[in-house]
Amino acid sequence: MKKFLFLSTLFVSIALLSACKKDDDNKTTYGTLALEFDNVVGDKDLNLVESTSSDFKYKNGLDQDFNVSLLGYYITQIKLEGPNGETFGDPVATGANAADVKGIYQILEGDVNSQVVNLSNVPSGKYNKVTFTLGIPAEIVQEGATGGVLDPAEGAWLWNWDAGYIGMAFEGRSPASPVAETQWNPENSVQIHIGGWKDIQDNPNMVNNVKTITLDFGTTVNVGEKYSPSAHLKMDLLEVIAGHHATADFSVTNQVHTPAGGHDFAENLHGAFVVDHVHQ
Amino acid sequence: MAAILFYGGHTFSFFAMKKIIAWALVLLVFAAIGCKKDDTQKEDKYTFVAPANFPAPVYTFDNNPITEAGFKLGKKLFFDPILSVDNTVSCNNCHNQSLAFADLSLHPFSKGVQERQGIRNAPQLVNLAFMKEFFWDGGVTHLDFVPLNAIESEIEMDEEIANVIEKLNADPEYPALFEQAFGSSKVTTPLMLHALAQFTTMMVSNNSPYDKYLRGEAALSEQELEGLHLFEQKCQSCHAGILFTDESYRNNGIDTSFTDIGRARITSFDGDIGKFRVPSLRNVGITSPYMHNAKFASLEAVLDHYSNGIKPSLSLDPSLKDGIPMTTAEKTAIISFLKTLTDKDFTQDERFFKE
Repeated sequence: MKKFLFLSTLFVSIALLSACKKDDDNKTTYGTLALEFDNVVGDKDLNLVESTSSDFKYKNGLDQDFNVSLLGYYITQIKLEGPNGETFGDPVATGANAADVKGIYQILEGDVNSQVVNLSNVPSGKYNKVTFTLGIPAEIVQEGATGGVLDPAEGAWLWNWDAGYIGMAFEGRSPASPVAETQWNPENSVQIHIGGWKDIQDNPNMVNNVKTITLDFGTTVNVGEKYSPSAHLKMDLLEVIAGHHATADFSVTNQVHTPAGGHDFAENLHGAFVVDHVHQ
Repeated sequence: MAAILFYGGHTFSFFAMKKIIAWALVLLVFAAIGCKKDDTQKEDKYTFVAPANFPAPVYTFDNNPITEAGFKLGKKLFFDPILSVDNTVSCNNCHNQSLAFADLSLHPFSKGVQERQGIRNAPQLVNLAFMKEFFWDGGVTHLDFVPLNAIESEIEMDEEIANVIEKLNADPEYPALFEQAFGSSKVTTPLMLHALAQFTTMMVSNNSPYDKYLRGEAALSEQELEGLHLFEQKCQSCHAGILFTDESYRNNGIDTSFTDIGRARITSFDGDIGKFRVPSLRNVGITSPYMHNAKFASLEAVLDHYSNGIKPSLSLDPSLKDGIPMTTAEKTAIISFLKTLTDKDFTQDERFFKE
């Protein structure tokens, strides 16, 4: 019996050690990749103004003047892919505690830190494609109250009455908008809040405005321990308000706070993002 | 035992010892019996129990398991007007336990801060853990987000959530209670919403006379049984199952036109104008007035509406185009059945009493 135990222990130990040895030979290494989001309006840089400003820097698809006092959007479920089958998924986690929330980012014009998403623990290799979700999808909403970036007291954009998060918000002024001054907004305000994550049956409006966007890098980048690559993405607001799907007329479309109202803008989102360039 | 014997460091005379030991034994026995019972009760008291004949709960308990500390914190918040802008209105103002957490019939529309009036009848808070969507238009799909609406509605509590969180963090008691419940003395929105959800998910109503009848624990009268039979024929297509609602949105013909567009507010679909959620009929005997706009003060008026009062409109539910024929005797029987859905165990459950 003793001999048997000794031999089997020996056998198991050898097996385990061999297994470990095998892993050491093919150890996976990791690196980082940064995604930088630069927001523009056509061929112009996006510069925010005060909400009451009458400095109209931009023109929309119908040549209507406008400016921007607020612009932001949520990115989540980020994935990377490479030409040799490399894949990486940025882990997404939710919870009441801010520290538990991962993989959900609010990109805010005017907050420089928010415009860089640092992906870490990316398996070393080559990558040439990024995919992300624009907006907060059902699987996150249905987890309930979430902290940190999705905490409404900390600035998260949550619609109370149609519970879910605004995916992208744009606010500014346009002389074309006939909206009168209110307690909270100056006259001629434009507020486009694109939200809605539910597919409601039998509803011809199809109001799930959460979009999955895939972008080619246009080149292949190395990720690994000795690299610090970054991909610079551009988000063109002009493509959102005057894009391949629809063009907004600020004289009639200037207060959007429903999923149906955001539908046309959401359909434009696929054309709004590009990878401008990549640093190795 | 040792503690009792050597209390205060004094030693006792032999006879005193005997007496002390005797009493100690008596106490121990009582304590043993008492503790055992209490332990079981304590276990059940703050544990969510899904009744065997209910559908599976929808609420994400994995994200927010119920604890005694969390439940009690949620209860404290529920009764606390600190959630309102001028510290005058709490959840309890419009959600009264004796009425299954609906509002008084004196308040067809509830009163918010500064006597502002609501626009829809406050519903009862019952079996929320089993519901997929909330409010008359179903705009909220997770119980956690429900309280934000009352807090931020101008006509209800008229407060901003960021201000509520600030007030709670500055309060002498709340940070410690949040520490107890969630391990963090920093109060945040999700923790506050989780506490409220722990309190409200525990509002399970399944001990009405009808429930006891189903379990073979009690009998219904002949008239009540007749009413049940008629209810199953005439009402159950919408007020279905053990929850007494199929959770759909329907226009039940109470108006020809709608200033409150109901479900359409959420779907932006013209076909949904005038549709409102089918409410649960549990406790309906004590939650008058009825309908989203409090149109009917009595169950008699409701049934008269269904038999003779259906009003036409574009989205009128097809099942109601000819009304629901009922004789006076049938209505009486149905109403007597509906009253068997009143759950006094629930309305008098001490766990929900203010501490």
